[in-house]
Amino acid sequence: MIRACGVGVNYGPVRAVTDMSLTIAPGLTVLSGPSGSGKSTLLRVLSLVERPSEGEVFIRDVATSALSWAELRSLRRKEIAVVFQNPADNLITHLTVAENLHAAGAPDLALLDQLGLDGSATWRIGALSGGQQQRLAFGCALARGASVVVADEPTSQLDVRSADLVLETLASLPVPALVASHDPRLVSLADLCIPLAAS
Amino acid sequence: MQLPWRAAPRAALSSPLTLLVSIATTLLLGFVVAAAVLHSSSAGSAALAYQQDRMCPHTVHPSLVGKEDLPLSSAVSMSSKSPLSAVYTRIGRPDFNGLATYGRFGYRPEALAHLTVLQGGGTGLWVPQTIATAAHVRVGDRLTGSPLVVSAIYADLAHPVSGWWCSESQTVVPNPLGGDGASTSVIWVSQVSDLALLPSAFSSRASVSLRFPVEPPSTLAEAEALRDKGNALLTSLRLPLTRVDGLSSAIAAARTSERNVSSALLPLVIISVLVGLAGVGTVTVQWAQRRHSELRLLWVRGASPLSLGLRGVLELGLPLVAGGLLGLLAARLLLPLYGPGVVLASGTLWVALGFVLAVVLASLLVTVLVAGWRVHRTFQRRARSWRPALVPWELVVGLLAVLAWVRLSHNGLGPALKSGDLPRIDVAALTFPLLVVLAAALLGVRLLRWSLVWSHRVRWWKVPAAQLALRRLAAAAGPVTGVLLVGVLAVGTIAVGSSVAGAQQSALDSKSGVFVGANSTVQVSQDIALGRVALPSSLQGNTTLVGLSTGALIVDPATFTDAAVVDDASSVRSLLSGLHRTGEIAPALRIGRAADKEIQIAGLPLLKPVAALPSFPKLGTRGYVLSRESVPAAEQVGSWHLWSSLPLSSLTSSLQAAGISYTNVADRARVLDGLPFLTVEWTFGFVAAIGFVLAVVAAVALLLAIEVRRRQNAVSGALSTRMGMRPSVLWSSHLLEVGTLASLALAIGAVASFVSTGFAVPRLDPAPWLNPAPVLPNLVPLLGSMVLCGVLVVVVAAWLALRGVRTARMGELLR
Repeated sequence: MIRACGVGVNYGPVRAVTDMSLTIAPGLTVLSGPSGSGKSTLLRVLSLVERPSEGEVFIRDVATSALSWAELRSLRRKEIAVVFQNPADNLITHLTVAENLHAAGAPDLALLDQLGLDGSATWRIGALSGGQQQRLAFGCALARGASVVVADEPTSQLDVRSADLVLETLASLPVPALVASHDPRLVSLADLCIPLAAS
Repeated sequence: MQLPWRAAPRAALSSPLTLLVSIATTLLLGFVVAAAVLHSSSAGSAALAYQQDRMCPHTVHPSLVGKEDLPLSSAVSMSSKSPLSAVYTRIGRPDFNGLATYGRFGYRPEALAHLTVLQGGGTGLWVPQTIATAAHVRVGDRLTGSPLVVSAIYADLAHPVSGWWCSESQTVVPNPLGGDGASTSVIWVSQVSDLALLPSAFSSRASVSLRFPVEPPSTLAEAEALRDKGNALLTSLRLPLTRVDGLSSAIAAARTSERNVSSALLPLVIISVLVGLAGVGTVTVQWAQRRHSELRLLWVRGASPLSLGLRGVLELGLPLVAGGLLGLLAARLLLPLYGPGVVLASGTLWVALGFVLAVVLASLLVTVLVAGWRVHRTFQRRARSWRPALVPWELVVGLLAVLAWVRLSHNGLGPALKSGDLPRIDVAALTFPLLVVLAAALLGVRLLRWSLVWSHRVRWWKVPAAQLALRRLAAAAGPVTGVLLVGVLAVGTIAVGSSVAGAQQSALDSKSGVFVGANSTVQVSQDIALGRVALPSSLQGNTTLVGLSTGALIVDPATFTDAAVVDDASSVRSLLSGLHRTGEIAPALRIGRAADKEIQIAGLPLLKPVAALPSFPKLGTRGYVLSRESVPAAEQVGSWHLWSSLPLSSLTSSLQAAGISYTNVADRARVLDGLPFLTVEWTFGFVAAIGFVLAVVAAVALLLAIEVRRRQNAVSGALSTRMGMRPSVLWSSHLLEVGTLASLALAIGAVASFVSTGFAVPRLDPAPWLNPAPVLPNLVPLLGSMVLCGVLVVVVAAWLALRGVRTARMGELLR
């Protein structure tokens, strides 16, 4: 699905990621490691949000380094759904819950039941808790029909109970998921854990 | 269209501040563009109105005249072709009682209703008092060789005549100082057919004038239509008369004035529009910052920068369009406040609407492009280290100001300005003072920014209000310097516009004063100089007798400064009082460039300059002035004039009441064509209007900046007061903070503008061949009103800041 070969990311003299090669398998893959180890950077590169300084990222065996920004956007639109760290960043705050799902491409509101958000269709985003927002964000990611869900520290801003609910959601995702996190509970749920060391 | 785009207009409501700023931005943009269009159009109409005001009402429509070359019967026949014609016989010697005097007969419909009857009335001959007196004519006397009988004696017409007589004044107002038979008052017949009954001596060399009274046109288009229609009518009459078309030259002058004002405004408007569009761009950047999460989300979901730019325009578009239209509305409603006139050519509002829509479209385009560029730059490309703040903009602008000054000092208002030309305001003339203001503003901003950085070392805790004010200023260096920049530009632009416009008004007045010599003048006979006729008491203390010979002015030192237009009356009086003749040589004042040597002028004694003045009323910058007592023979002086500080109508009515004849009247208020001055004044009036717009921007920006940090102010203020700070100290600190900013803006703007206009104003002279050159008007009222407005804004801003403290709740403090 997603494959990285010798990927490196440099910010001027700083080498954030060095010579990283990996393949995202079906199930839940977790990139773990301390702050500054390059988890989020690698995640951005693998989700085509950022171009690597070196190496190649393949999406369904398509090499992406030669693609234009427009082609990258098109590929990302079809294949990848991204969930950011801050729950509110994953939703359009002036739309209702139902409108957010529709905006993400959901044909109906059936997902709300699965996400434990039944009855909240007409709620504003501000009326949801952080955990509910993050679950709705995963719902939106699924609604887009992406081949893989990429999430950056999805539980870091949630309380324990909300984080548990998000972990349940993550574990039940029907598509491969790539998550950057240093949450040990998430690591324990992972089908594959890729530890990154601080450079 | 996907839901986030469809819902964008609704999303605008989630941020009323952005909504307000967007509306305000295009409101100002629309106002400037619409105001420029309306200002130019009203300048054309105002110029036409000014020109028409200087014309006789009956000569607005093209007319036909024939002077003393027609048989009387032909003149009578031709006169039937117009609704308001006049027929005059040649000047002859009509005989009533065997005592003939010079006179001419005339007929004009309703003329008798516009005369002042002294005796009699009704139908018959109406004889002017001068002829009645000279020939001992009485009511009831019969004209020899004619059945016509005198039915009334009327008061002679004299300058200045009413509008009804204006077009005929050359014929109907006699010159009492002219030779016998050169001119005379008119003996009016009550009906045109009576002219056929006159003695045969009056049947040739008749004059006729065919006038076509109309309502004066209010716009140039109406005037052009009237001119074309009028000329077509005159052509269709096929009469062998001379065409008089004053309207064409008035239209040409008004068109030129309108074109010159428009072309002068164009660069200013272009700069304003570019600045306004930059403002729209800034609003869009702020919008993109506020919507950063949503834009990132949509971009990650595959939206392109361009489509996200469209998302921006869908949210901001409606306020931008509304703002533009409100700007047009404001420009129309405020036209009486900033425009030269209120009359607009038909279709002007549509033209203004077109321009407003164009800039609104440009604003929408800027929004799309800036939002798209921002998305691209933020998400698709790392930011480059472009630092516009490092460019020494003040030096660049200062250099441009120097270049503008070089051009202005060589060219003035434009190359080869001649008498009768309307000035084309050179771009250098317009931009020099504004560039100086801009350079000063940028320099002020740079110094303030450095000072605020350095201010972190300052410890003024002995004066807590000052320390707090300084810290707040330093903490908001960006908004503070922005407000200072706009504030300085506002103050400077208002001062430049008002100063130059005011200088033109005073220059026209001063030049007219020097040209005429006094508020009003009339030529009188030498009898007054010889003491045969005394001036009426109503003219004592305000009128003086002045003799005029080639290159010399003969004045009465005791009364001259009572009437003449002089800058420093006491010093002129002192110099004149020293002109006592001793022997054959008459002491004289040498004026300007006149030769500094003894000189002989015909009819005057040998003149010896004993003192000098750079300029003098009537003489300008060349000539000599001597005392009346130095002139032995008043008959030898070229002409004698009465100069008065009274309006012309008061002077002439006093003379008429005293029975003193006069001619060659001059009125300071009308002697010079003021259109060249008005053209410059109107142009810089618009500069002042833009300054007022900037002032509104500065005030609103200041108030918004304070409102934006309301919570921060409230928290810090409430905490400070709970820790023991007196409310008066807090109030003082806010007053100091905002007051410092306002004072800086006022001081920098005022100094820069007054210095630059001080240099520029003398060179913005529409009539450089007339003294004196324009000078800066009294700036105290302008400065005073700006200080007053500044104080008002400061108090409101401080109140706004403190309101947050007063209404702050503990919950808000703890949050």
